[in-house]
Amino acid sequence: MSRENETKNLEEVEAMELIERAQAQLDGIDAAKGADAAGSAGAAGAPGSPDAPSAPDTDAEVPRDAFGVVRRLWTVSKGEHWRFAVVLVSIVCYTIAQIAAPAYSAHLIDLLWANIQRAFAAGEAFSIGWDTGGRECLIFLGIWTVAWAFYTLQAFTMASFAERLNLKLRRAIAQKLNVLPLRFYDANKPGDIMSRATNDLDKVSEVLQRGLLSMLMAVGSVVGAIIMMLRYNVVLTAVFLAFAVAALLMTRLVAKRTLVLAARQQHAVGVLTGHVEEAYSGRIVIHAFNQEQESAARIREATQRLADAMRRTDFMTNVAGPMVRCLVRFSQVALALLGTGFLIAGRLTIGTLQAFFQYVNTAAEPLTQFSLTMNQLQSALAAVERVFDILDEPEIEPDPAHPARVPQPVRGRVAFEHVRFGYDPDRPLMRDVSFVAEPGQKVAIVGATGAGKTTLINLLMRFYEIDGGRITLDGVDTHAMTRADLRRNFGMVLQDAWLREGTIAENIAYGCDGATRDEIIQAAKTAQVDFFVRTMPHDYDTELANDAENISQGQRQLLTIARVLLANPSILILDEATSSVDTRTERAIVAAMEALTSGRTSFVIAHRLSTIVDSDLILVMDHGTIIEQGTHEELLAAGGAYAELYNSQFA
Amino acid sequence: MRMLLHFLKPYKLQAFAVLAALAVNLLGVLLVPTILANMINIGVSSRDFDYIIEQALFMLTAAVLSGAGAFVSNYFCADLATKVGRDIRNAVYEASLRFSGGDFEQFGTGSMITRTLGDVNVIQQAITMTIQMMLPVPFAAVIGVALAWSIDEQMGMMLACFILVVAIIAVVTVKKAAVIFQKLQRFIDRMNVRLRESITGARVIRAFGKEEAERESLDEAFSAYADSAIKVNWLFATFDCSSFFIMNLAEVAVIWLGGNRVGAHAMQIASISACVEYAMLILFFLMMAQICALTLPRALVCLERCRQVIECPLSIADGAGTELAPAQDIVAHFGNASFRFADASEDTLHHINFFCRRGTTTAIIGPTGSGKSTIAKLLLRFHDVSDGAVEVCGTDVRDLTQRALRTRISYVPQKAWLFSGTIAENLRYGKPDATDEELWHALDVAQSGFVRELPDGLETRVAQGGTNFSGGQRQRLSIARALVKPADLYIFDDSFSALDFKTDAALRHALATEVAHAAVLIIAQRINTIVSADQIIALKDGCIQGLGTHRELMRSCAAYQEIARSQLRAEELEELLGVDVELEADEVDVADVADVATEAGTAATATDAPAATSAEGGAPAAEAPAVKGGE
Repeated sequence: MSRENETKNLEEVEAMELIERAQAQLDGIDAAKGADAAGSAGAAGAPGSPDAPSAPDTDAEVPRDAFGVVRRLWTVSKGEHWRFAVVLVSIVCYTIAQIAAPAYSAHLIDLLWANIQRAFAAGEAFSIGWDTGGRECLIFLGIWTVAWAFYTLQAFTMASFAERLNLKLRRAIAQKLNVLPLRFYDANKPGDIMSRATNDLDKVSEVLQRGLLSMLMAVGSVVGAIIMMLRYNVVLTAVFLAFAVAALLMTRLVAKRTLVLAARQQHAVGVLTGHVEEAYSGRIVIHAFNQEQESAARIREATQRLADAMRRTDFMTNVAGPMVRCLVRFSQVALALLGTGFLIAGRLTIGTLQAFFQYVNTAAEPLTQFSLTMNQLQSALAAVERVFDILDEPEIEPDPAHPARVPQPVRGRVAFEHVRFGYDPDRPLMRDVSFVAEPGQKVAIVGATGAGKTTLINLLMRFYEIDGGRITLDGVDTHAMTRADLRRNFGMVLQDAWLREGTIAENIAYGCDGATRDEIIQAAKTAQVDFFVRTMPHDYDTELANDAENISQGQRQLLTIARVLLANPSILILDEATSSVDTRTERAIVAAMEALTSGRTSFVIAHRLSTIVDSDLILVMDHGTIIEQGTHEELLAAGGAYAELYNSQFA
Repeated sequence: MRMLLHFLKPYKLQAFAVLAALAVNLLGVLLVPTILANMINIGVSSRDFDYIIEQALFMLTAAVLSGAGAFVSNYFCADLATKVGRDIRNAVYEASLRFSGGDFEQFGTGSMITRTLGDVNVIQQAITMTIQMMLPVPFAAVIGVALAWSIDEQMGMMLACFILVVAIIAVVTVKKAAVIFQKLQRFIDRMNVRLRESITGARVIRAFGKEEAERESLDEAFSAYADSAIKVNWLFATFDCSSFFIMNLAEVAVIWLGGNRVGAHAMQIASISACVEYAMLILFFLMMAQICALTLPRALVCLERCRQVIECPLSIADGAGTELAPAQDIVAHFGNASFRFADASEDTLHHINFFCRRGTTTAIIGPTGSGKSTIAKLLLRFHDVSDGAVEVCGTDVRDLTQRALRTRISYVPQKAWLFSGTIAENLRYGKPDATDEELWHALDVAQSGFVRELPDGLETRVAQGGTNFSGGQRQRLSIARALVKPADLYIFDDSFSALDFKTDAALRHALATEVAHAAVLIIAQRINTIVSADQIIALKDGCIQGLGTHRELMRSCAAYQEIARSQLRAEELEELLGVDVELEADEVDVADVADVATEAGTAATATDAPAATSAEGGAPAAEAPAVKGGE
């Protein structure tokens, strides 16, 4: 459920970003045309899967060490630095051309006007010929074409830059996922980890592509425009600058306000999400107590609140641009009045006055986006920082250089010797646990939910490292072996029957590359799942969909059993069938497990005590440690926790 | 789309206001350069400063108009989009309330949450974007061309041609891009799937030593996405740059044509710049609309997902009856009821027959998955039987409104679920006007003394789902909640499992007098919970294996004996069975049968009970229907 919540947030963020992007592009309207077009390159990150994971929300997040993050990004992008050089040169050339264009258009208009007046004075009509403005028109087109060429160059240079950088970082994450301790996976929600590899990096690519570039271009344009304006007329420039400063202050206020409103909206989203999750989870109670109307009223109130909050946020986000533009238009009125005065006084030509106005647009437009872009840049840096945080997570200790090997064939004697362990080393759960599973023995692990049955598996498989004592396999300390060598000897069938996207055959052969179809079918038959597979549309070549939702929990478990059967390990770890399977499947699972365990050392996590009575060793767990061990008879006779459990639980 | 129109309908006013304000805004935006041109034209020709001031005032008005237009259209746009979003959310939620268990499960909780929250967000944002980015196009085009036309016909014509060409290009690009975007979406999905797999499967991957393979597979997904994303970026860059180029051409063309037209006395010099502005604006709006158009297909998908919920055909329809017969002796009756889940190949319950009588306790016991909870759900009509009938107070549940039915039943679900609020609010769920005394009484019966020790007592806050209480506390509160509600039938669905033996016993003792006026149905796993029930149903694989008191079942029902043996110690068994065990051990079968027939006479066994049992209980079984249980 929390994942859904995250999904929700993601979509929120995504949509907000879309709107912001759209807005920023809308904002470009009045600006000189080149800068306008800068917008869309980053849109690749826009569409997200509805099932995509979350992104931490709000644009208010600030990187802890912005400079450090930038420096590290620079290092990561080594090999692509030339792109920056190209882009920088392009931007400089583009800006020059873009600033030169209005100036040239002033010249062009003035020239045309002079020619026209001359023609009129001569009493002739005027039409543009090569020498009467045609050449200049083409030169003007040439200037714009230069601007266009450099714009195009940088656009295409950067089109792949951000994604390449992302790919590099994503590959680093993929690499890292294999060396992160299980501790990390247990402590972090999958959605959180995923969001770093997806949303966070998408944010980065978008900002790199749009925010950063358009910001560089905007800075160039503003500086250039203001210089040109100053050259034309100082008074008019001063008037404009006064308005510009006011506009800048206003956008800052709006941006701040937007953050506050966005936080409020987020709160409203949280409240509604809470209510909806609660109502859907408790829907049976709502129906049983005829609370439908009351519940609907409650949701309605929450949706109303959210609608109110969203209306304010949307409005505030969207109104910033129009407000600034309105202010700029006021300045234009003042400038028009003054400018025409200068024109009449002969201190400006038509061309220069119009060019001045073009510069006003060029310089004014970036103001509308400045504060928003700053927010985005910051949040993008914070996003990269989160990615770097993952990459900096402590790793599992490397395998020993000269690993010990277990003599083959493995007999399957597993021994815990004075094992000490705690998920938090300061608070040990197991203090001094010892037991021996002889080859071929069946060891049952018993305990309430949360008693730590998986802890034992974590230690056996070395998903977690023990803090003291040792665990041996056929007398060899497992810590001295490579993890791969150790784990090769174990097969696991867990309740959370994890299957991969791929065909059924691929899944069964997961632990046994190069298994033939016959071997796969044989394993499926032993696991009692062959019949089921044959009922699927393409039997063994049926693709298991996203998270294998097209098959039931019980069938999934049978497939994982087949998977282990084919891998043929010496030692087994089994989780008993879930309660969510129907009786027939359950019988199949029990039978398949029996087939699996015969002749192998096996560790069985038992949910029903009736099935473990015949175990060679029963380990009773509570609060993460083994509190009792022995055979069924011994433990019953002892009258301890097991006896109590056995007597209370429905076998 | 039809549904969207339906949701837009109540907001005609807002829609109209948005359109009007947009028109005003764009008129203002386009008038500013027009007036500026006028001023300059006057400035260079007549130099009439009064006229210039007048025009400046016009320009100020245009600026104010455009600002106000933008303001108003933004306001109504936000208002419209958020209200439509709210209405869709409410509609989805209210539709879910009409769902039966099966209807809801067909979507699943996770998906329903996404549909209510995320999907609606996407729709809402799409509405906003459409208003902000698509709608201005026609306005800007019409006003722009009109203004250009008023300056000079040829200029207007040329502008119209440019718009037409770019519009055609835009439509073609959008169509092409939509395909690429869909592909990109698939790559994103795959990337997410692979990532999720790698993270959730960390244990299995390592157990099989497949780290390297997973990394490669992830790499491949990442690379495929990157390639595709870069392609999209290239597409956008191409589109971006070609638009840029067309704008350049348009600007030079306007100047060229403008120069000629001024030369022909058809227009004035400063109007050239005005026409350049129009062209740039309109072309820019077209580009924006193009980008927006790319995001709409996704919103349509979300809309469709919401529609599926809102227009989902209901599998359970309310009956007409709102009144149940008043107090009757037989409160609930299963008449040969069978049930099968919609997508199952096998019945979950087979031919269930039994009565619940007022003042008696019926217990159902059986292994997990035997269909116990389903019996409760059929009573509450969360599902409908696939065969046979379920009657409450003499009326088939299908002939009643669900509301009427459920007012007569109080239910403690298997999973104790509380709602955020206070304890009192939760307890008053079934009886809004219950007094504090009633609440305390129910709490006492439910052994919830711990509430008295809470500083805020009944006003203690309950977190979402009740997670600030322990499992046992939650369960006791949920029992208390059910007890506050007056009902003819109290159903406890495995409600005692989180309680320790002592509390369990005390609770059952207190319950006995509390609900003496009603029928009680207890679904249990522990035999201790139900030994004293008036009748016990032993359920296995959806079939009734035996029906009777504990004593009877201990003698006649193999399935029940199995359960009992696994849970009770030998001495307890003896204690519970008393003489019967000795009888079984020492006496002949005849005595056994006679004992049952005379002493209890109520044992009944299901038709498919084990042979030994039916032989043993043959005589009483024949009698049974007349007495209590029955076929």
